Amino acid sequence: MTATIPPRSLPVSDHAVRRFEDIRDLLPDVNNPTPLVRVRNSLVVDNVYLKLEWLNPFGSIKDRAAQYLVQGMIERGALDNRELVEASSGNTAIALAAMGAINDTKVTITIPDGVPEETKTILRMLGAEVWETPDELCPVDHPKDGAIALARSLAASEGGTRYVMADQYENPDNVKAHFETTGPEIWSQTEGQISAFFAGFGTCGTLTGTGRYLKEQNPDIRVIAIEPYAGHRLPGLKSFAEANEPGNLDRSVIDEVVKVHDDDAYAMTLRLHRRDGLMVGLSTGAIAHAIDQHDSLGDGLIVGVSPDASTKYTSYFTERLGSEGLPS
Amino acid sequence: MTRDDTIQKEPTETLDTSGMLCPLPVYKAGLALKGLEQGDVLRLVCTDPGSLADIPAFARQGGHVLLEVDDQGSTQTFLIEKGPGS
Repeated sequence: MTATIPPRSLPVSDHAVRRFEDIRDLLPDVNNPTPLVRVRNSLVVDNVYLKLEWLNPFGSIKDRAAQYLVQGMIERGALDNRELVEASSGNTAIALAAMGAINDTKVTITIPDGVPEETKTILRMLGAEVWETPDELCPVDHPKDGAIALARSLAASEGGTRYVMADQYENPDNVKAHFETTGPEIWSQTEGQISAFFAGFGTCGTLTGTGRYLKEQNPDIRVIAIEPYAGHRLPGLKSFAEANEPGNLDRSVIDEVVKVHDDDAYAMTLRLHRRDGLMVGLSTGAIAHAIDQHDSLGDGLIVGVSPDASTKYTSYFTERLGSEGLPS
Repeated sequence: MTRDDTIQKEPTETLDTSGMLCPLPVYKAGLALKGLEQGDVLRLVCTDPGSLADIPAFARQGGHVLLEVDDQGSTQTFLIEKGPGS
């Protein structure tokens, strides 16, 4: 007997039965939030929840920003007859490339040195052009963010007629995405019981947008930023000792900055895999380590962002693991 | 001229970056030089005045030899000989 799917009168995605008419209907909002999952075994404190952003349709928290960035560009007509260019270490690039594929928009990504091959391959699979860029590309003024400088020069070249830059670092649509989605989701999912929110320094859309929303609901919520050290290898995170601060950073919503070493982030990432079955990426490890080290977070719920999963960094983890887990 | 060289080297390849702003010409020049052999000469045409500072610095840092700079105001032309190990 052949199973048949009952006909539908309207092609409307149904979140209750999780049947969707378009991949973009999976993009999150307060009615379709990414999961908030308790960390039961890996941390000293037990009231910690991670927001699993890697369960977004294109695999990371950057789906939110990409959606708002693209929508804003479409509404302004900025994408009319132009290609999209963006500087990204991976997640925004993947989300933009996926949306570009759906919209038939050519996407070029300027990507910093050291991004794992997995990410670059996924981008090329999605049809994007990938320009690997050394951080110190400019030989004279050394802006430290060669990929950003290159994307800006592409957008400005040829009279600005060929490329438009999404500019996740400066474009306020990035902040708006988190103010309108991540913040309300967390407030709703914790039923207002959140006392501290942790996220990493990067484009700062998550910190500024989510932090601003949460502070508007309850000014006592502590917003804590995680920053790696200069020379780090934690994808998606930025050390402002070596990178320029983005326009999307609003330090007025941040109560504290916690610095995390690469080795501590890796150790915590491994622990989250092995004790909680949470297959998170390194930036989550950095954030969870900062939570674990903190001793004054109040009695409410603590929420940390888990920006992406470990699957995009297997080459890095293979290098770190060495022969561990192989028969001797 | 940045080097007193009585033997004029013919460009192996020409790269025209007209209309491109820094650091795009630097990036494109790096890609072009990667495809050349040591001793080959890249003729690089730029229209961004910033290239007058960037390209000599790029050549020096990359171990290349800047054979010639021709600044015509709206256009700058560089002859770059690919160095060893780059």
